[in-house]
Amino acid sequence: MRTLTAALALAVALAGPAEAHLTPPVVLVSDRDAVVSLLSGAQRFFVREVRLSAQEQTAIKQASSWTPEEDFYRFYVGRDEGGRMVGALVFVGDATIHGSVRVAVALGPDGKVRGATVVELTEETYPWVKPLIDQQFTRDWVGQDGRSRYVLAERLAPLRGNPMTQFYGEVVGGLVRRGALLYEFGVAATVGRR
Amino acid sequence: MLGIRLSRLPMSAKVFCTLFLLGIGCGAIAAAVQAATAIGLTPADVQASLGREMPMTSLAPAGHGQHHQAEKEISVSDISGAAKVWIRTPLLIQTSHTHLFGQTLIAGLLGLIFLFSSVGERLKSVILALPFVGTLIDIGGMWLTRFASPSLSVLVIAGGIIFAVGYTLITLIALYELWLMEEPPA
Repeated sequence: MRTLTAALALAVALAGPAEAHLTPPVVLVSDRDAVVSLLSGAQRFFVREVRLSAQEQTAIKQASSWTPEEDFYRFYVGRDEGGRMVGALVFVGDATIHGSVRVAVALGPDGKVRGATVVELTEETYPWVKPLIDQQFTRDWVGQDGRSRYVLAERLAPLRGNPMTQFYGEVVGGLVRRGALLYEFGVAATVGRR
Repeated sequence: MLGIRLSRLPMSAKVFCTLFLLGIGCGAIAAAVQAATAIGLTPADVQASLGREMPMTSLAPAGHGQHHQAEKEISVSDISGAAKVWIRTPLLIQTSHTHLFGQTLIAGLLGLIFLFSSVGERLKSVILALPFVGTLIDIGGMWLTRFASPSLSVLVIAGGIIFAVGYTLITLIALYELWLMEEPPA
């Protein structure tokens, strides 16, 4: 009996660290809803898939210290009835210590941010980001491009008191910037080559 | 084993084993519901979440670090309308390490209780191995689906079923022996 009790106690003690794991993902918006809402005004939709060249990857790294590593990037391009581009949207994500964050970034033909929305995070990170989402924090980055600084606006100063909210606001901002850079180097810069 | 039988355990140990088994069962049901809502419970669902993203266009194969792009018109319905989790490699690594630790510890505790059942050694070995084997097939299947072949997503479902069968057998046999089995007088 003593053996059994000791073995069970040891096993329960060992089980503790297994509980300290990432919380499940939370999907806030489907891909389709993100595309339709952020590319509003588009009548026709296209998929443009881009595989970056080594030079483009290097250029993005020099501009942002981030190296794009996906095999290819998929842009959803919205056009009006006349075929004119309304905007393009790319999903970008990152794995943080508290789980994945995925953001939809829509860009205008000029490469400036048209809108962005958080589409996925985790149960743990959601309460930190929700106050920002409630304040439509990504709206402050509309009109910025890959060279801009994506920081939380002054109007959100009261929310910056929570360091995790501040941190994840910066994570999302960094992802929006990545979307802008991917468009700039992967799509806009290559229009003449097509 | 070691002269200890589940049917002969003192009341406190029987309560401990019973509540542990029931707690793990509730956790397993919650995990299944979570998997069903976040991913889905068919091989196709698993494939959609775990498989590598394939081009929708005629994008040229990778090579020589050159720029490639391709475009095609789609309809809105071609874009996923389901709020499903897409598991990228970093999340797969995180999921693997937490589930391998967690499920193996659960399988270990289940097996530890089952070691003291009166089932024959050969059958006992098979049954207590099921949760371990199921865990390895489940997590191994996730990696194989992503990096070997999407068709191997069936392994993820099979691994989950094997774990569930092992848990169910262990729990039913253990609960029977804990509370219903009559020990012949010594």
